[in-house]
Amino acid sequence: MDVVFDYISVSTFWTILLIVHSLLAVATLGALTHQAMSVAMPARPMATPAGFVTRFRSVYGAGYATAICVLWVLTFILGAWIYTKYRIAIRIPLERTGYWKTLGFFELKEHVAALGLGVLPAYWYVWKNAKNRKYDHVRKWVTILLATMCWFAFLVGHVLNNARGFA
Amino acid sequence: MTTVVEPRKPSARAASLAVSEAFGIFAIVFAITAPIFYVVSELAGLPLFTYHPGTNRVDFGWAAARANEGPAMYWYGWIGSMLFGSTVMGLFATLLPRGVSEKIPLALIWIMPLLALPVLAFVLMPFWTR
Repeated sequence: MDVVFDYISVSTFWTILLIVHSLLAVATLGALTHQAMSVAMPARPMATPAGFVTRFRSVYGAGYATAICVLWVLTFILGAWIYTKYRIAIRIPLERTGYWKTLGFFELKEHVAALGLGVLPAYWYVWKNAKNRKYDHVRKWVTILLATMCWFAFLVGHVLNNARGFA
Repeated sequence: MTTVVEPRKPSARAASLAVSEAFGIFAIVFAITAPIFYVVSELAGLPLFTYHPGTNRVDFGWAAARANEGPAMYWYGWIGSMLFGSTVMGLFATLLPRGVSEKIPLALIWIMPLLALPVLAFVLMPFWTR
């Protein structure tokens, strides 16, 4: 790591890492929202031209499964790396200034991300067997669960970043 | 008009995993047991390892923070316990007779994480009440 710090400051390094983590989270969020919409409110063939919402939920959900798993794992790994810096440089100052609920939601977000990780193999399997009607129910609800988890994690991370910023 | 895009053909390795009944049982049992292992390791203080970010030191199992070395982190260890325990349970489940494994309720895949969340939120009570 010392080689990297010959060219950029420690602060810049962690900022870049945080931005990449955020961009990966945005990609995961978008993909999961498309997929969850496609499975919760599947589009039906229509005679009239499709509107925005219909096009949004008209994606082929199974095609997203592998990408979402890869994105979740990559986002998770980067987040876990940043968490080491957070524990010392972010959490301790926020404790001193009394942001207890913000910190609590962030700890809950870490739990949510870990629980999501545990669901991924089954999620991938039921989507790769998208034509097997036995998995229809679980495919729908596990996708909605993951999408909800992703939205929660994204929003909490965003709020925490607003609370501390890049200071 | 819809914008449905047909998928590309999956790689041979991914396709073989997707049709593997054994992998399906492994994945389902892994997902069901992961929240259990995670919550138990959190509540019972059973992380696989403890990480000390101030000194980059890793201790096996649970270890208290040392004086003047900053905080101890258990989250990585809880995930380690979850991955290890769920993998063992998943592998064990592949050895079960088909009649038994087919009776595993699939809904537990999404119900178990949902049940784990209130417990984990309760553990964080000091943050909510301060």
